[in-house]
Amino acid sequence: MTLTELREKLRPPCPALDIHVHPLGPKRVDSVDEDARQILAAADRAGVEKMCIFLLHPASGEGQLPEPTMDQCREANDYNLQMRERSPDRFIPFCYVNPMYPQESVAEIDRCVEGEQMCGIKLWIARRATDPGLDPILQRSVELGIPVLQHAWDKTTGNLSGEPFPQDVAHLAKRHPEAKIIMAHLNGCGLRGVEHVIDCPNITVDTGGGDPEAGMVDTAVNALGGKRVVFASDLPVRLLGQCLGKTLGANIPEQFVRDILWNNAARLLPEWAGVKPI
Amino acid sequence: MIIDLNAFTGHWPSHPVTGDLNSVRASLHEYGVDRICVSPLEAAWCRNPHRFNEALYRTAGTFPDVYPVPVLDPTVATWKKELERATRELRVKLVRLLPAYSPYALEAADELLEALVAENLAVIIQTRLEDPRRQHQLAQVPDIPAAEIANTAERHPALTVIIGGARTGEIRGLKDRLLASPNLYADVSQCDGLDAIKVLVEEGLTEKLLFGSHAPLFIPYSALSRVVTDLADEDAAAILGDNAERIITW
Amino acid sequence: MKPAELKEKLKPAWPALDVHVHPLDCFGLTKVSSAREDANLLIESARRSGVEKMCLFSLHTTCPREPTVAECIEANDYTLTMRDLEPDVFLPFCYVNPMYPDESAAEIDRCVQGAKMVGIKLWVARRATDPGLDPILEKAVEYNVPVLQHAWIKTTGNLVGESFPADVADLAQRHPKAKIIMAHMNGCGLRGIEDVAHCPNLYLDTSGGDPDSGITETAVAALGPNRVVYGSDAPIRHFGVQLGKTLGTTLPDNVKRDILWNNTARLLPEWAGVDTI
Repeated sequence: MTLTELREKLRPPCPALDIHVHPLGPKRVDSVDEDARQILAAADRAGVEKMCIFLLHPASGEGQLPEPTMDQCREANDYNLQMRERSPDRFIPFCYVNPMYPQESVAEIDRCVEGEQMCGIKLWIARRATDPGLDPILQRSVELGIPVLQHAWDKTTGNLSGEPFPQDVAHLAKRHPEAKIIMAHLNGCGLRGVEHVIDCPNITVDTGGGDPEAGMVDTAVNALGGKRVVFASDLPVRLLGQCLGKTLGANIPEQFVRDILWNNAARLLPEWAGVKPI
Repeated sequence: MIIDLNAFTGHWPSHPVTGDLNSVRASLHEYGVDRICVSPLEAAWCRNPHRFNEALYRTAGTFPDVYPVPVLDPTVATWKKELERATRELRVKLVRLLPAYSPYALEAADELLEALVAENLAVIIQTRLEDPRRQHQLAQVPDIPAAEIANTAERHPALTVIIGGARTGEIRGLKDRLLASPNLYADVSQCDGLDAIKVLVEEGLTEKLLFGSHAPLFIPYSALSRVVTDLADEDAAAILGDNAERIITW
Repeated sequence: MKPAELKEKLKPAWPALDVHVHPLDCFGLTKVSSAREDANLLIESARRSGVEKMCLFSLHTTCPREPTVAECIEANDYTLTMRDLEPDVFLPFCYVNPMYPDESAAEIDRCVQGAKMVGIKLWVARRATDPGLDPILEKAVEYNVPVLQHAWIKTTGNLVGESFPADVADLAQRHPKAKIIMAHMNGCGLRGIEDVAHCPNLYLDTSGGDPDSGITETAVAALGPNRVVYGSDAPIRHFGVQLGKTLGTTLPDNVKRDILWNNTARLLPEWAGVDTI
C-alpha cells in the first residue's frame, strides 16, 4: 500500500464534526489568524469539516487556571468569537463560564449566545457538576435549546478538587432532565463512567481526550446506543486522526459511524449553528 | 464428590498461567474433582469487572461440571443489572467479590449482599489473589483481612459467606467467630504449613472448611495434598465436598 | 474419587529427600516440649506425604536475624540432638552467621568435621555479597559440603541482610568450586531464575512460597533437570503442598525423581550415606 493509498483509506467516509476543540491561544501562536490557519490545516488533513471551539482562557493549561474570573471567561469567549470570524463556516464557538459565579455566567451566556449566536456552553473544572452553581447555567441552556459540554474524568491518580466524575454528570443530568448534556472524555471516564450514565438519556458522551484504547467506542455504543456518542478530539491536546480512529477503527455498524462523526452532534446543536444531518 | 469452590479461568498479568477453561478442568479432573466453581481472573484488573462475566457464562455453559462464579462490584453503577443477569444463569450458585481490587470497603457491598439473600445466592469474598511479597512492584494490592469478611457475615446472617484464600493462621484466629456464625465458612486454597488443615480440624473447624484449588494460579496437586494427606477419610471427605454440598443450593 | 484413592494417587512414586526443613522448635505453630516430640511430629507429617529424609537446620528457637555465635552453637546442638534421635531421617546442616567469619569457620569445623553434619546453612544476617561469607564458602569447598543460602525478591522489600538471587549468583561466581543451593524458588520467582541460570554451581530449592503453577518447569528449562532440588521449608510450609511443585508439573518422571532425591543426593557428602536411586 502506498502512502497516498493509506491516507485515502484513513479518511473518514463522511464529513466529521468535532465537538471538542480548543484554539491554540496566545501562548502558542502570535495571532488569531495563525491560530485559525493551523487548526484548519490540521482539520483539512484529517477530514474534519466543522469544529466546536472554546478557549479556556489564554493562561489555562493542564490544571492551570481551574477557577477563572468572569473577566477571564469573557476574554476567552471574545477570542472564540474572533476565531469564528476567521472561518464562520467551520468554527462553532461555545461559551465558557464558571459556576462559581452563576448569575454572571448566565449574563455571559446571554451575551454570547443570544447576542453573538454561540452554539453551546462549556464547563470545565471550577466546580464539580453536583454543585448548585451549575443549576442556573443549565436552566439557561434549556431555555436557549443549546447543549452543555461538561468535562469529566475518573483518574486513578486523583481528580482535581473541582473536577467532575462521571457520576457527578449523571447527577446533573437528573437534576436537569431537559438539558442536553455532553459528557466529555469517554476514555477518561472509562468502563465505569459509561455505566454511570447509561440511565441518563439526556447525556451524550464525546470521544475526545484520553488514549485510543481498543473497544471503548464499541462499549459506549453497546451501552448507550448509537445516538449518544459524538466524535471529539480535544485538539490540540490530542491528534485529530488518532481520535477519529476511535470511531473509524471500532467494530460498530456503519450507520453509527456517520451518526457519531456528524449527525448526533448536528441534532444537539441549535438551528442557528446551520448544521444539517447527513 | 469433590467440589472446588475457588478456581479461576483466564489470564494473569504478572504470572503466565494455562488458564483456558479446558485446561483448568483437565488439571482438576486428574485428581477427581467433580464440580468446579470458576471466576474470570481478568476481572480483578478491569475497571468494570462485570465485562468478563458474559464470556465466562458462554464458555462455562458448554461444561456441565463448571459453575460460573461471576464477579460483582457494588461500586459499578449498574451492579443490579449484572446481578439480574447472573440470576438468569442456571448454574450460578454463588458470586465473588474482589474488594481489594476495585477497591472498596465491604460496607459498600451491604445492599448487594442483601440482594444475594433474596436470590438465594452465596458469596465468596477473596482475601488475596497473590502473596504481596510476589506481586508486581507497580501493582501492589493489600490483603483484605479475613476478620472484615467475618464482620460482613455477621451483618448479613441470612447470607452464606465464604472467606476466600485465607491463610491457616487467619482461619485459626477466627475459630470462635466461625463456630458462632452459622453462615460463615472458609476455603482452604491458600492454607499452608505443617499439618495446616489437621490443625484446623483439631480446633473443631471441619464443618466450616471448604475445598478450593486457586487453579490455575496454584498447582492442583498441592490443593488436594493439602487436604487428604494428613486427615482421616471422613474429615477429608467433608472438606473436599460434603460441606459444599450441604451449604450451597446446587 | 474417594479420599483413600486420592491419597494413593498423590503418593510420590519415589522417596523424597527434603533439602530444607526446620525443627518445630524453630518455626512450629505449636511449641514442642522436647527434641523427641519435635522429631516425632516432623517425621509423622513428612512420611504421610512421602518424605523419607530431611536436611534439617535450626535457626535457633528465637530465630534472631543476626544470631550471636553462642546462639548458632545452641541451634546446631539442637539439630545434632534431633539427628542423634533419628540418624536415618535427619541430615543436619550447620547454621552460621557471616558477621563472625572466623567463629563461623570454627563452628563448621566442630559440626562438619567433628560431628559429621552434611551442609551449611546461611540465612539473613548478611547479604551473600558480603565478604564475611568468603571464609565460610572456603570451608564448604574444603569439606565438600553444600551451602544452602536463603534468598528472595520481595515486592514488599527484602530485610536488610536478606539476599537477592543476584547476590547468590555473585557468591557462586566468587566461589566457583562451591556447591550452593539457593533457597525458595517461588520467592525468587521468574527473575531470580534468570539471575542464576548462568552459575553452574548454583542449585535451586523449591521450598517456601506458594505452589505457583509453572515455576518448576521454568526453572528446569532455564537451569536444566539436575539443578533443581525439592525442599519444603516445613514447618512453615506443608510437605505435600510443596511436593506438588514437582509432582504436579508436566515434567518427565525421571526429572521428578531427580528433583525429589538424586539431585540432592549428589550434592551431599559421602558420609551422609545417601545413594542415588
